[in-house]
Amino acid sequence: MLVGGCDVGSATGKAVIMRNEEIISYEIIPSTTKPEVTARTVMDMALKKAGLSSISELDYIVGTGYGRLKVPFANENISEITCHARGAQWLLPTVRTVVDIGGQDCKVMSLGENGKVLEFVMNDRCAAGTGRFFEAMARALDCGLQGLSELSLQGKNPATISSQCSVFAESEVVTLVNEGKELSDIVAGLHASIASRLNSMVRKVGLVEDVVLTGGCAKNDGLAKALEDKLGVTVKKLPLDPQIAGAIGAALIAAERVSKQTTKSHA
Amino acid sequence: METKIKSKVFEKFSEATRTLFNPVLQNWKDQGGKIVGYFCSTVPEELITAAGLVPLRMRATGSTSTERSDAFFSSINCSFARHCFNLALTGDFKFLDGVICVNSCDHVRRIYDNWIRFVPDTKFVEVMSLPRKTEATQVAWYRDEINLLRGKLEKHFGVKISDKTLWKAIKLHNETRRLQKKLYELRKQDRPPITGAETLAVMVAGTAMPKEQYNNMLRELLDELKGAKGHSSHRARLMIVGGILDDPEYVSVIEDQGGLVVTDSLCFGTRIMWVQVDESLSDPAEALSKYYVADRPSCPRFYGEHDNRATYIIDMCREFKCDGVIGERLMFCDLWAVEHYMLGQDLKAAGIPMLKLDREYLTGGVGQLRTRVQAFLETMGR
Repeated sequence: MLVGGCDVGSATGKAVIMRNEEIISYEIIPSTTKPEVTARTVMDMALKKAGLSSISELDYIVGTGYGRLKVPFANENISEITCHARGAQWLLPTVRTVVDIGGQDCKVMSLGENGKVLEFVMNDRCAAGTGRFFEAMARALDCGLQGLSELSLQGKNPATISSQCSVFAESEVVTLVNEGKELSDIVAGLHASIASRLNSMVRKVGLVEDVVLTGGCAKNDGLAKALEDKLGVTVKKLPLDPQIAGAIGAALIAAERVSKQTTKSHA
Repeated sequence: METKIKSKVFEKFSEATRTLFNPVLQNWKDQGGKIVGYFCSTVPEELITAAGLVPLRMRATGSTSTERSDAFFSSINCSFARHCFNLALTGDFKFLDGVICVNSCDHVRRIYDNWIRFVPDTKFVEVMSLPRKTEATQVAWYRDEINLLRGKLEKHFGVKISDKTLWKAIKLHNETRRLQKKLYELRKQDRPPITGAETLAVMVAGTAMPKEQYNNMLRELLDELKGAKGHSSHRARLMIVGGILDDPEYVSVIEDQGGLVVTDSLCFGTRIMWVQVDESLSDPAEALSKYYVADRPSCPRFYGEHDNRATYIIDMCREFKCDGVIGERLMFCDLWAVEHYMLGQDLKAAGIPMLKLDREYLTGGVGQLRTRVQAFLETMGR
């Protein structure tokens, strides 16, 4: 059985191809202004990597992410909340709390033992705690996203950043830079401020271990560390790229649909 | 949702909901009739009807901006207050012959403060003082408030509101409530003949035209819905709970995801009609006060009533076979914020899932709303 999951996010498009619950290829590309094009491009790349010649070789495809309604070849669309939870749980079966930080929103899901979402909260009204926030800060501090993560881990006395609005946080950062504050302390302060916002979202659904980070920002070790400090528990690392958790979840749901169809046709 | 109601009378309800100064009101005005706007469903409409006026529940339908009114409010005032007052400033409420406010919440109260000062062409602007508890003392207090307003309406509009005319109005409004309840009864069916968005349009229209005319139209609609095929393609049955929601479009977004709204606790919904004004009392003002303060399903405006509200919602869910509850609130509505938090816990204990949604008065951010509702339906395995 060959299935695909295609997660068209605001910042990146992700595609995963699975054969019998095993990932045979995946790709991540920056999103274009046309979700259809992003979906098509990233899926074609994943197909090529898997050595497949055509999308028709896939038995079922699930689209997810912000652009999920615009994945032209998807058999079905499922919300990114369900997909991220499913993907995270497949990657780490003991997970009960998923903090997903994407390009333009962040969400926290609490999971049952079967990977089913029990409750979720979502912030998509402002840039605080999203990829866009970190991109803006990396630009203001001219250090790149990787640099941001590294600097954060070096911070000894995190600066207090009172504003969580990315625009105002940027001016606050500029002020701190001009005051001669250590760059690492400023960056650590930024991460602490976002982590405390994520903490309050986690408390809304209830903190249950294991906790994992998914989404592009999960690659930011500085953020993971800051979140651990706030939550007071370990944030587990996923064994695979956390950015593709949603696409994996979509592929897993696709596989489930195929199994159901097969059972039906055999019955 | 598959089939939409195709009916002339429904189209009239829908039009009255989509427009502020709707054709029925325009016609009333053309014939020399007067219209009094009132904020919040705790203002007794019956009194306005008894004065020979048409009560219009204030909405900001058609507003597109708050640029004129923002200066009059703070950053923590809700968008309903801003849009309403913006329309007052742009002259869109000029057709009103009076406005009655109530201290139902601080946002609405500030509309009053601004209105008396900055909209001088409205000659009749009053405010009612609504108690926060629901005991006999408060019923007596609000009865006095009702009688005060009664005197002011009589004086300003040169009419006499006798006990007899007030009882007549109460009976007329109770008839509206009975008919609306009949409409809701149809939604208990496995295949409800009307969607939640359509029902909201019918309910909003009920606050925007003379009640006699409305009752006749509603009877007609009820007849048309008899034997209708009904909706069956939905994935789940939902109840919606919250504060001022007058835009059927918002409910449509929810229903387009497959969640059919079958009942509610809204002030354009069951809260204004599930219970009747007690017609067996001797004093009509007392009967109205008892109804508005103590008898009908309350909103978080009232103290010490949370448990009753939660019980009402849970019972309603069972009666209408709801799979889940959507709690909506306007941003910055402090009353509903805390209420939804507590309600979420009560519903969890009762095994009913709840999705909490913050919204702005104008329906926007549809993509975000869609994602939340879709995910909510998925968590219910739908």
